[in-house]
Amino acid sequence: MPDFAQSWRLFLQSVWLQAGAMGLGATVLALSLGALAPATFTALDWTAYDTWLRHRAPIPVSSALLLITRDHASETKFGTGPWDRAVLARFITAAHNSGAKAIGLDHRIALPSQAQLGGAASDALLLEATRTAGPVVYPYETESPLASEAMVLSHLLVSPSQDHVTRTVPLSTELGTASVPAFGLALYKLAQPQASQTGTIALVNYAGDGSLGNLPILSFAALWEALEAHHDEQLESWFTHKVVVFLPDPTPAATWLLPTGQSVSGAAIHLHLLNMLLTDNRVCRLGPLNSGLVTLLLASLVTWFLLHTGGSRSFLFAGAVVLVYGCLLVSALALAHLVLPLALPLSALALVFVGATIWTHLTAGQRMVLLERDMLRVQQEAVAVREALVLRENRAEALQEDLDQARAAVAQSTGLQQDLSRSAETLRTELADVQAQEEAARQQLQDLGRELAGLRAVTESSSKLGDAELEQLRDECRRLGIVTQNHHLLGLFRDLKKGAKSQLPALLLGEAGTGKELFARAIHLLSPRSGKPFIAVNMAAISPELFESELFGHVRGSFTGATMDRRGYFELAHHGTLFLDEIGDLRLEHQGKLLRVLQEKTFYRVGATTPTTVDVRVVAATNRDLQRGVSEGWFREDLYFRLKGLVFRLPPLQDRQDDIGLLAEHYLTGQALQLGREAPKLTQEALDALRQHEWTGNVRELRQCLEQAVALAERPLLTKHDLRLQPPTSTTSSDRARTPKILPEPAGDAAVLDCLRLNGFDMQATAKALGWDRSTVTQRLKGLCFQALVDTSGDKAQAAATLAGDPSLTRTVELKLMDYHDHLLATIQPFATVEEAMADCKRRFKNLPDRHFKSVETLVRQHFCANPADQTG
Amino acid sequence: MKRRLVLAILFLASCAWLHSIDSSLAETPDNQTPPASTEPPSAASPLHLPELQPHDRDDAVSLLGELRGIVSLSPQSPDDRLKLAEALYRIGDLDTAIDECRIAIALKPDHALAHLQLGRALMAKQDWRASVMELKEAARLNPELTQAHYNLGTAYYTTGNIKGAIQSYQQALELQPSFPDARYRLALVLKLAKRDQESAQFMEEAAANGIPQAQFFLGNAYRAGQGVTKSGTLAVYWWTNAAEFGHQPAASTLSILRRQALSPVQPEQNRLDALKAFQGYREKIWENFPDLARNGDSETLGTTLLKQNRTDHAVPVLLQECYAPSDMAQTELARLYETGWEPSLPPFDKKILACFEATAGEGFGPAKKILARIYGKGLGMKPDRQKAITAVRGLPKQDVKAVLDELSLQP
Repeated sequence: MPDFAQSWRLFLQSVWLQAGAMGLGATVLALSLGALAPATFTALDWTAYDTWLRHRAPIPVSSALLLITRDHASETKFGTGPWDRAVLARFITAAHNSGAKAIGLDHRIALPSQAQLGGAASDALLLEATRTAGPVVYPYETESPLASEAMVLSHLLVSPSQDHVTRTVPLSTELGTASVPAFGLALYKLAQPQASQTGTIALVNYAGDGSLGNLPILSFAALWEALEAHHDEQLESWFTHKVVVFLPDPTPAATWLLPTGQSVSGAAIHLHLLNMLLTDNRVCRLGPLNSGLVTLLLASLVTWFLLHTGGSRSFLFAGAVVLVYGCLLVSALALAHLVLPLALPLSALALVFVGATIWTHLTAGQRMVLLERDMLRVQQEAVAVREALVLRENRAEALQEDLDQARAAVAQSTGLQQDLSRSAETLRTELADVQAQEEAARQQLQDLGRELAGLRAVTESSSKLGDAELEQLRDECRRLGIVTQNHHLLGLFRDLKKGAKSQLPALLLGEAGTGKELFARAIHLLSPRSGKPFIAVNMAAISPELFESELFGHVRGSFTGATMDRRGYFELAHHGTLFLDEIGDLRLEHQGKLLRVLQEKTFYRVGATTPTTVDVRVVAATNRDLQRGVSEGWFREDLYFRLKGLVFRLPPLQDRQDDIGLLAEHYLTGQALQLGREAPKLTQEALDALRQHEWTGNVRELRQCLEQAVALAERPLLTKHDLRLQPPTSTTSSDRARTPKILPEPAGDAAVLDCLRLNGFDMQATAKALGWDRSTVTQRLKGLCFQALVDTSGDKAQAAATLAGDPSLTRTVELKLMDYHDHLLATIQPFATVEEAMADCKRRFKNLPDRHFKSVETLVRQHFCANPADQTG
Repeated sequence: MKRRLVLAILFLASCAWLHSIDSSLAETPDNQTPPASTEPPSAASPLHLPELQPHDRDDAVSLLGELRGIVSLSPQSPDDRLKLAEALYRIGDLDTAIDECRIAIALKPDHALAHLQLGRALMAKQDWRASVMELKEAARLNPELTQAHYNLGTAYYTTGNIKGAIQSYQQALELQPSFPDARYRLALVLKLAKRDQESAQFMEEAAANGIPQAQFFLGNAYRAGQGVTKSGTLAVYWWTNAAEFGHQPAASTLSILRRQALSPVQPEQNRLDALKAFQGYREKIWENFPDLARNGDSETLGTTLLKQNRTDHAVPVLLQECYAPSDMAQTELARLYETGWEPSLPPFDKKILACFEATAGEGFGPAKKILARIYGKGLGMKPDRQKAITAVRGLPKQDVKAVLDELSLQP
């Protein structure tokens, strides 16, 4: 199973694999379609060839070919029925004596002549003439009493296609135990013994419309007259070096339909084959295997375009491929006389168009899951690398300190100078190595960051919206209370509308005030559950002790105060939607319980012995990064994947600048209506101020600002002053990112901590942002860590959490903090008294700000108090 | 009057049908004269009905009327009905003949001749399978019935049963060895069965019995060496015999061979072979006159016979030699054409002129000169200079000049 999962993942990630598989499937399906409707399929396959045959310039007719046929004069002379074979014998002898290169006689010799037609004597004459002129090509008869070794028996079979049109002739066929060549081919081989013709079936290149009239014809009557008159020169001009074919039998009912629309006999088709061979105007066709390969290639290529490019461009590219193939097909036919398959590729392409579209929709969800997993993996790797970076930084700092110590030792003891120099050199080398490793780790981190950004870009990409659709979506949003004209948000709404109809759970991500609950209600209202309850629960507001009771309900007497049965939110939302807001703040132990309900759809009320089953669609929301939560361990991965059936990331108001005017107008009107006043207007200056203001509370803050302005305004026109916009209390992350603030030396620890938090506690980046030396930043953080340890009474986790501010950085800070603390303990370990230890600490941590030595001293004292044995030891 | 007119029309129709039926039974490949003996001689066939013998035209019509009267008087007589069927068959009323045969068979199921007659009528109707059944029944009822076996052979062959045909013809020959036509047909069928040696043997016997078709095929066999030793001389010999019987294919074959011998554009070997064959033929015909002694190459058989005043034999032999073709014979015949040989040969004999015309057309130089003289001088016809000039086309210039000079001297 893991292998299958791995293969499936690989398959979903590889467009080429999907294209190949879909191309193969389409080819097989197209072949099956061909088997189901062979006539239609065949007619379509030959359309190009048939059209070409009808409209091209006629091919030349061989001057080495002569057909002797019946006409009215001949039938007047020899009768309208079958002719006496003695007459045929004379014609054959004449052709042979006049230098014919090869002679063919399309005459059935299955039965002997009837007595009225000369009987055995005429048969004997024909046999003698054949022996004299032999070999002579005859149509094959199963058991002819007249067959002789001077006869080359050939077949007049044709291979009509499934659409009953005859385009091909089998070059040889097994009749009985013998391999019998085609009539035309047998004559060709007699005329040109050195020529070779390979293959089992030949596509006939018809001259003109394929009837006999397009080939050089002489009538039997004319030939007879020349024979009777002994016009030897005339006979020689007709026959010398010619392939002569006698067609003495009455014209059979035309049985074979040609692509040109003519109906001709099998002999006529074979004679056109002969003409084609004599004039070397052969036409080839790809065999079934090659046709299949071409189809597979084409279908795979088009599928690749459809899957890889996406959107309308993919159809454009795929259409271009089809067009190119069409041009190739026409060119091959006109220039190389090569007939490429048409029906099979076209059918396969049609299937590919449909299949690729369905496939894209079917696997979109799975691809998203894979992308999420990739993001998760990359984030985990980033965390690991970050930890490694911290360790290396610490190591580098420790080595730096050792180096400093070594240098001091060098200054004190010249006798040990040489050893120390070596140590210094070694340490320098180690430092360089560690710095190189650190740089490599940093580079790796950057790469991973770029990869993560790429993956995010993929997940966030959405198709463009048309104007009409935008308008429609805007109206629908407004009906649901969502005021926006932002394309991104409308696109998101469009996806939400589609996803709402499914039963999948939804996860809404976005900062506070971005409208998560509004969208949750929209999901509910747009879903089939719209007539059922919508229950919104703020998970952060629920007391941990009452979590189960609130969500699952309780039975009377299950705990103190449970005086009656109570239904929980899940039951209240039965058949409806349960909106779990602030899901990121849910405790780990509660996450497990919630997961169980989501998985099994059943739960036990508190104190109940029987389970309760509910049908609830869960829509969760949070402003926290749950992916990071998973990677850092504060959010269960299984719950995360259970919740994220549909994920919608709501943009902050800052990213929806175009909505600010619209929102302002909406709220001003609403508030004015509420107050029974006319809606005030905003001056351009006020509107600009609104747009420039940093709305950390997003729409909620904007709304509050405008409501306040309306309430306090006395004029119908609101100015910037009326808005009472407060300058930002702290530098926002974006501003800080844009303009790194260079703090002076006495900068407060809070500012340094902010900068560290901003840079993810990356010493190098923070040092660069502050314009300081890295060791200075390290010393400042070290001091902050010691202070935090003192403040939290030695609780490292709490201290780290306090410093990190963001849970995602806690682990990083914790690692650093533990390292600093361990270093401190290692430093004071050899000393017996606090004073000695502090003296050494002052020397060791000489760059540590003085204000932090108090914390160091406290920690040292705590250590000595907690471990008196160490003092003695 | 009216009755007579109807009878006359009936008579003419019967003649036409008689001819076609005889042709069908004789199986002539080229509509030439039927073989001398298409049926067993009546004397040798005790079962042969006297009514089947040829009758005069009036007899046939009157006989039909008489037979109808007899049948109406005695409708239960199978023999009378059979006679009526025979008469109807001869005038070509095949359907009525078949009906009468069937009634006769119904009256007397073991009537072999009725079955035979029915089989023949069905053959004429080209109902071969039914005819085979009837003829087999006739042969079963009367194994001595030669006609039944002979016709069965033909019917068998037409239905593709070569083996059956051979057996039937052999049985017919066993019953009646002097049946050249059966011999010829057996030879043909053996030839088609690739049994060339046996075929050649029977063909030679038939040819010797004067069947021109057999002579022609025997000539072909000698030319190709099929079943016999290859011999151009014997081929020419037998073709000439057949041509003398008016067998056109044989005459055409000889004409082609003469052209081959006389044409300068033919391959040398072919030309020499043809000349050798004709020369051999000219020598072979000496064997027909064992009493004559050859006098070297200075004389031909014809000239020798002429010297001996045996004109009845000399002229036909000279014609044979002229067609052979021989300069000497041509010269002698030219002389005979002008002078004649009283009293047996008048001057300007048409046969001699036809011989000159034929051989001149085939490119024989001496014949051209002679013909030019005949046309130019108006020997036996009005002088025609243009025809004379045309006749000498293809001759060497000096020969042409000499001939024309000779002619221009004439007034």
